[in-house]
Amino acid sequence: MIEVRELTKRYGATTAVDRLSFAVRPGTVTGFLGPNGAGKSTTMRVLLGLDAATSGEALVNGGRYAALRRPMREVGALLDAGAVHGGRRAFDHLGWLARGNGIPARRVTEVLEQVGLAGVARKRVAGFSLGMRQRLGIAAALLGDPGVLMFDEPVNGLDPDGVRWIRELMRALAAEGRTVLISSHLMSEMELTADRLIVIGRGRLIADTSVRELAQRFGRGVLVRTPRPAELTEVLEAAGGSVEPAPGGPATDGRLADGRLAVGGLDVEAIGDMAAAKGIPLHEVTPHSASLEEAYMALTSGNAEFTADAKTQPTTEATARRTS
Amino acid sequence: MIDAFAAEWYKLRTIRSTAAVFGAVGVFMLLCVLYSWYVGHYWDGLSAAERSRTEASPPDQLLAVTLPVCAVVLGALTLTSEYATGMHRTSLTALPRRLTLFTAKAGVAGGAMLAAALASLAAGFLGGKAVVGDRALPTFHGPAGATAAHLLWVGLAAAALTLITYGVGAVLRSTAATITSMLGLLIVVPVLTRLLPSPWDDRAWSLLPEALPGQIAAAPGTSGGEGVLPAPVAAVLMAVYVAIALAVGAFSFVRRDA
Repeated sequence: MIEVRELTKRYGATTAVDRLSFAVRPGTVTGFLGPNGAGKSTTMRVLLGLDAATSGEALVNGGRYAALRRPMREVGALLDAGAVHGGRRAFDHLGWLARGNGIPARRVTEVLEQVGLAGVARKRVAGFSLGMRQRLGIAAALLGDPGVLMFDEPVNGLDPDGVRWIRELMRALAAEGRTVLISSHLMSEMELTADRLIVIGRGRLIADTSVRELAQRFGRGVLVRTPRPAELTEVLEAAGGSVEPAPGGPATDGRLADGRLAVGGLDVEAIGDMAAAKGIPLHEVTPHSASLEEAYMALTSGNAEFTADAKTQPTTEATARRTS
Repeated sequence: MIDAFAAEWYKLRTIRSTAAVFGAVGVFMLLCVLYSWYVGHYWDGLSAAERSRTEASPPDQLLAVTLPVCAVVLGALTLTSEYATGMHRTSLTALPRRLTLFTAKAGVAGGAMLAAALASLAAGFLGGKAVVGDRALPTFHGPAGATAAHLLWVGLAAAALTLITYGVGAVLRSTAATITSMLGLLIVVPVLTRLLPSPWDDRAWSLLPEALPGQIAAAPGTSGGEGVLPAPVAAVLMAVYVAIALAVGAFSFVRRDA
């Protein structure tokens, strides 16, 4: 169980994490998504006690990480696969970690086999590829057989086989009842791995949802092009549909500047009938099955509607400044 | 705390730079013996009158000069090498109680340096003494108690320098900056103190870390007279330097983001 409550982290004048709250529950793989610089790594560093929160709290199993006596038995984390001493052998890198957390030395051999590095256990880490270092970092996270696991961009540098291996490993770990949090800036990867998604941008929560909900929210829309978008919006919203300006902006078609609208909650027939009833011309009606990737792009585009989402975050002075 | 010491000792003995530092100590120990052989050889060629005027440096002199450099390198690498790779985050994730980790690192580095220094000093001195045999060289045949005290304080000074450098490294977080600063203190500052008008040159020099062991327990048989501090004051000063460096380093290590 991971809980982040009203977490804020500032570095000088920069706010990396801004009143962020979410919880990660056991038994699921939770994807922690956001563009580069969104505050994912900062949040994880605060969770692991590496950086101090400016305000708010970040708890693991109900307590602060830094208060744990043998933390690797409760929480396994991989932040940076490069954070190893190149001169040390793979076995020894895990060896000192095990020694420091009262973990028996046989676990070192076990996890090296589990991640496929048994053959290079006595080789120095300096000669490892990025993919091998990722596997070594994952081995370190698994060393103490912890109930909570955190991985920062674990598929970076892995080949397709490695990516699939990670995906299956994460799912297996969650199926054993563990809490698994994986950060990524790639929705395409999370789509296949995660059950739940926490999406952040500019340090603030954008969405805390399941993969299915997000797909439904963005995936069943209809793209409508009309020269009279304001009127159509009014009609469709009155009928219970959700209408948002579609990405791509107004398209120029002949003399008329058409408006592109993404309509949710209404099907193609209903939209066509209602437009006909009101005499609003439609130039295009396309059932739009947005991929999660597109949904994510829309969520994180930095567009004011999304960053100042009134439902998830109260508008603050900081937001007003940022979006103006 | 025991876990942290065990983990830090494991780390120290599984990187090659440790072997390089202690290898260098071993080489200088052998050079002490070689130097002693040369002194004995030289002595044999002197007349009785020349012998009475000759004062040979004690056999541990080479180590007394080079141990501080090895101590600085070890003290710096203990922490700053982790900042270079980001390993300090891995260390803090494994051992999040920062003061415990800081103490364990200091204990392991300081302890290893003290053990290596005392072992090499004893071996270098006894080896040198055996090589010159019964030649009447006063710096090779001092009273056992005074010799042991001298070697002990040279070793303690090396361990103290490791700890001072370690504390400085915790603040600077850079291997290059830490080693450069400390070697500047060891090599450049002593020269600068000599530029001061007398008696301030001696007074300033006496306060430097490398001048302290000689003022606490000078090598038996040397003419002595270097430094102006009484032995207890010099010993306390060494402890104060270590305490200040470790306190500032610990404060920085515990309070700053990793």
